[in-house]
Amino acid sequence: MVAERDLGPVATEAVAARAPDGAFDRAQRHAWWLLPCLTGALVAGSAGFVDPYLLYVATSWVIFGLLGLSLDIVWGKGGILSFGQTALYGIGGYLAGIVAINFAPLTGNTLIWTLPVGALAGAGAAALIGFFIFFSRMGPLQTTIVTYTFTLILWTGTVSFTARIGEAVVGGDNGMSNIPMLTAGFGAGAAPLGPAGMFITVVLVATAVYLAVAWLMRRPFGLIVIAVRQDDVKTELLGYDVRRQRLLLFALGGAVAGIAGALFGGWATYLNPNVFSVQQALLPPIYVLVGGRGSLFGAFIGALAVGGLSFWLGGGVIGGQTTLVLGLALIALVILLPGGLVGAARALLARCGLASVAAIPPATLGGYAGIPAASAQTALDRPGKSLTVQGISKAFGGVQAVDDVTLEIGSGSVRCLIGPNGAGKSTLLRLCMGLERPDSGSVRLGADEIARWPAFARVQAGLGIKMQRTQVFYECAVWTNLWIAAYARLGDARAAAQTAARALDQIGLRGRAHEPASALAHGEQQWLDIGMVLCLDPEVILLDEPTAGMTASETRRTAALVRALAGHAAIVVVDHDMEFVRMLDARITVLHQGAVFAEGTIAELRRDERVLDIYLGRRGGVADL
Amino acid sequence: MDLDYLAVVALSSLSSAAVLLIATLGLAVVFGLMGVINLAHGEFIMFGAFAALTASRSGLPFPLAVAAATLATAAFGVVVERVVIRRLYGRLLDTLLATWGLSLALYQTAVLIFGSVTPGIGMPISTIAIGRYTLSSYFLFLIGIAVALLLGTYLLLTRTHYGIMARAAVQDAETAAAMGIETGRLNTMTFALGSGLAGFAGAILLPAFPATPGMGFAFVTKAFLAVVAAGPVTITGTALTGGTLGTAASMTASFSATVFGDIVFFVGTLLILWWWPNGISDRWRRKL
Repeated sequence: MVAERDLGPVATEAVAARAPDGAFDRAQRHAWWLLPCLTGALVAGSAGFVDPYLLYVATSWVIFGLLGLSLDIVWGKGGILSFGQTALYGIGGYLAGIVAINFAPLTGNTLIWTLPVGALAGAGAAALIGFFIFFSRMGPLQTTIVTYTFTLILWTGTVSFTARIGEAVVGGDNGMSNIPMLTAGFGAGAAPLGPAGMFITVVLVATAVYLAVAWLMRRPFGLIVIAVRQDDVKTELLGYDVRRQRLLLFALGGAVAGIAGALFGGWATYLNPNVFSVQQALLPPIYVLVGGRGSLFGAFIGALAVGGLSFWLGGGVIGGQTTLVLGLALIALVILLPGGLVGAARALLARCGLASVAAIPPATLGGYAGIPAASAQTALDRPGKSLTVQGISKAFGGVQAVDDVTLEIGSGSVRCLIGPNGAGKSTLLRLCMGLERPDSGSVRLGADEIARWPAFARVQAGLGIKMQRTQVFYECAVWTNLWIAAYARLGDARAAAQTAARALDQIGLRGRAHEPASALAHGEQQWLDIGMVLCLDPEVILLDEPTAGMTASETRRTAALVRALAGHAAIVVVDHDMEFVRMLDARITVLHQGAVFAEGTIAELRRDERVLDIYLGRRGGVADL
Repeated sequence: MDLDYLAVVALSSLSSAAVLLIATLGLAVVFGLMGVINLAHGEFIMFGAFAALTASRSGLPFPLAVAAATLATAAFGVVVERVVIRRLYGRLLDTLLATWGLSLALYQTAVLIFGSVTPGIGMPISTIAIGRYTLSSYFLFLIGIAVALLLGTYLLLTRTHYGIMARAAVQDAETAAAMGIETGRLNTMTFALGSGLAGFAGAILLPAFPATPGMGFAFVTKAFLAVVAAGPVTITGTALTGGTLGTAASMTASFSATVFGDIVFFVGTLLILWWWPNGISDRWRRKL
């Protein structure tokens, strides 16, 4: 069931449909929305057969499922572990409650007030906190701590916060009462929903929210979210503004949490600072861990399991010994069941041979049935930009990694950077790319001074890099990797598919397009990485050790590729493989101890005694150069 | 607003900063040497407080009760490291989750054993007078304790065999292991040290902050923020961030409500992280 729901290409419209379009295929392609709709309808329909009190309690499980969903969005999909989801939920609940108390009498209906207000409040608060977290580029630990302390502060703050806003009285520890009960009808005579009506309404809202999120996750937005989780640096080096992407995702999670809070207020008709408490904040991670991270619907299973268990064991979700049990459960889950109940069940089924463990969710594999035949490369009739580095320096602690380097790489030309280990080659590329801040000096791309630009802006301006360490999205299919790269530049699914298909042929991996990148050999991963850079159609390309781990024939093909690119783009190649450098037949700059040591053709450098000296520490035996 | 008043506010702010540093140091040591944040740190403080309370009510003099509480919390830390933390090495977010679960489990256990209100310990509260105002001399004593604790930890980590090994292991675990340093045992010792410091904090603060199951939550907001704002050079960095933000927060709190102090601390941390996403000490050359 997991597989079917996640199935489906993010960019279906961009690729040709699978040829034999059987009913089964069609059903599979629509399963992502059909199954939730059916489940929602079934659950809502069960309302007629269940004891009203159980229905009333079960309504809160669905609401908690939404709360869990809000965490699964940011943590499961985006890798951001937030302990602040209940704070956003509480903010949404309180604001929706205040608005409902004041305005619901005008319409009778409460939902048209509480749902938008809850969503906006949750999203707004998330965006505010997220702005500081993501635009200052905090690390994962800092992010979690900031969200947790945010919750703790709201908890202590709301206990003493009292205010009167219109008819609404926020009474600190006493909470806010008189929140109108969920009402679906309109007009002065509209009666609040009974347990069954409330249950059905909440299930319908939850299904709608789930579908909206699932739909978004199937759009390019969702694919980029997954890319950011796997490798945020690589995603930025494709030209995506990772800060903005994370902010949007966090705000989306906040909106879902806010909607859950608004529903909770209308269900309980009462809110108090307990919604901000640590005990409450512990719940969403447990829901998500029980249900399995990243599955979205798992959050509902988790909430149902935890809620159901504590219901039948007696006692509410919070209070009593539940906190102790939940705390220990969290430790046990993290240590024993990192994949959650759903993951464990699937692993068990797999061991019995009943199902296969999908290590890579099909959504990230793409499921792209047809990859367009590559059209001929359109002739590039642009002058291309040049890259000029002037007097750039960078020190790490006491080490002068790059020392007053000046380089000019003319448009369409190839330049090799060589030098012993620690000469500053990689650091120089990182400075050009914006992955390190220079202590001084300037970097110009064409006419633009880019030394202060963030990395993604440099990529958008036409700079592309393949870093020393291979960077691909290992969980994604080869084809998806390329598509994500192409989409960064083009912003259009169909055009991106065309470009990605062309790159697929250029790197010769068409036969393996549907395999995950993790299945490729190291040399092939290097190509895939280069292929992603090609999808960006950069005007200046930086290649850091592109042939590391490649066989001799792979190296030759890479050299041919670089030579073919020359003329369309300026290329800087860092490599240790002198055979490869010779094949490129380009001008060479030798770096030594962070500074430019020599420059010339390979023939000139071969005659330079000093260059031979620094390479081996002494003369002689440098047959390689 | 006369001079006496300002002097009193300044002194009490300083002592609040000292309290914060005492409560934070164990967290900072673990973060600096193991790279993880123990979200149950507040409950380790609470553990120490209840241990000292139990010891002193069974007749132990207060200084001995503090020592006993410190050792008990350190021993508890060894158990937690062996049973939980060790299994999660290299899984930062899982460590956060597991210690968070531990935090709530410990809190609830304390509620079950001790109830939510407990008697304080009978310590004679002496005061000193500044003009028309009086200050508890215990708070001034805590300023001295904080300074001594900082110095002691600093010396422990720079001058002892353990400290040098532990700092080597944090810089490059693989090289350290290759040179025959047992990083696993070091981590146990580091976590025990951090726990012991937390236990000591709970015990030494007991006369001023009575033991309650929820007391941990009151300390950790500022403690977590101080450590995160401090960054990689944890001891000196925490002394700086905890000292400045702590003073600013308690100044604010003394003119308004406690929560505004927390908000000042929170916003101050956000601003520090805005400029130095890895903490204020990110580019310092020193290592502790």
